[in-house]
Amino acid sequence: MKKIFSAKRNALLSSATISWGGGALALVLIILLVRFAAPNIFWRAFAPVFHAADTLALASHTFAASFGTAAALTLQNERLTSENSALASENQALSQKIVNISALSGFSVPQQHASGILAGVLAHPPVSPYDTLVLSAGSTAGVRKGMEVFGAGGVPLGVVETVLADFSRAVLFSAPGMSTYGWVGKASSPVTLVGEGAGTMSALMPRSANIIVGDSVFVPGPGMLPIGSVVRIDDEPSSPSVTLRIMLSQNIFSIPWVLVRDSGTALQGPLFSATSTLP
Amino acid sequence: MMRGAFTLATLASVIFFPWPLTAVLMLVSSLVEPLVPLAAGIFTDTLYYTPKAGVLPFFTLFGALVTVVALLVRSRLRTGIIRG
Repeated sequence: MKKIFSAKRNALLSSATISWGGGALALVLIILLVRFAAPNIFWRAFAPVFHAADTLALASHTFAASFGTAAALTLQNERLTSENSALASENQALSQKIVNISALSGFSVPQQHASGILAGVLAHPPVSPYDTLVLSAGSTAGVRKGMEVFGAGGVPLGVVETVLADFSRAVLFSAPGMSTYGWVGKASSPVTLVGEGAGTMSALMPRSANIIVGDSVFVPGPGMLPIGSVVRIDDEPSSPSVTLRIMLSQNIFSIPWVLVRDSGTALQGPLFSATSTLP
Repeated sequence: MMRGAFTLATLASVIFFPWPLTAVLMLVSSLVEPLVPLAAGIFTDTLYYTPKAGVLPFFTLFGALVTVVALLVRSRLRTGIIRG
């Protein structure tokens, strides 16, 4: 009996049986396998793609901004320039004040300088949905798990959680589930900051703490470093406490680089669990 | 052509666009390709998920849910057409 062969009736492989979704799922599973088997190679392969995404975002932002009126942009530029120079002058005055006070008191204050490992940011929110940063510096550059990540101006952002040879991943303090100890308000009341995602955090405070909108929030590392401010207070009359809604001062949706350095953050968790002095 | 475009757009949006757009594309692409939401969810968590940042891989679970719902809807529609 003569058998008729038809490619469309091939039981093992047929274009009719492999859908786009099935092909995509197979590809993604292969990528997942590579991610676990060779994570450094995985990120090396994807780094150019993320750079292309950043370039595309910058180009689209420039294109959209070109539709703005030149006069409005010029005014905004002048306003920002004057604000910047005012802040620089204020910073200089405060630094001088520290020097004068330390000279009068006899204590020498160590000169703070922005040291650390400079790392480019491959991926950041909102592309990254879990409030994490993928950094282009890893163990070969000296990055270690538990190091703290700082933005421009020394603003603490998060902690390094995963380290590869050439890449690392940092979890921001605003990531859901992240808990950080700090201080809030003029009285520097101790507080536990809980990440809520999208660059926001929350904290429960007793009503008697008299926290107001605009109060600064600080975290340790070293000294008290400003991390954000209170933008809203949720108050239920029947509750003795209020919920502070806190926004990070650094714009995490547009971070080109960060500084990574060891500030002892990795020790905070064991330290606070080992002592009874919880805030 | 449309199936391929939706599939590629959804997977590319994981890297090039904010995650809300990816979520919308996952929902839209489930209408033509039910497996794409699951693939995009796994892809998103492969790139960005870290156990410390979240309790569960949310996007994988979301993609699986959308895929299951899409498959159920498609199976019901097919049954309905046969009966008609």
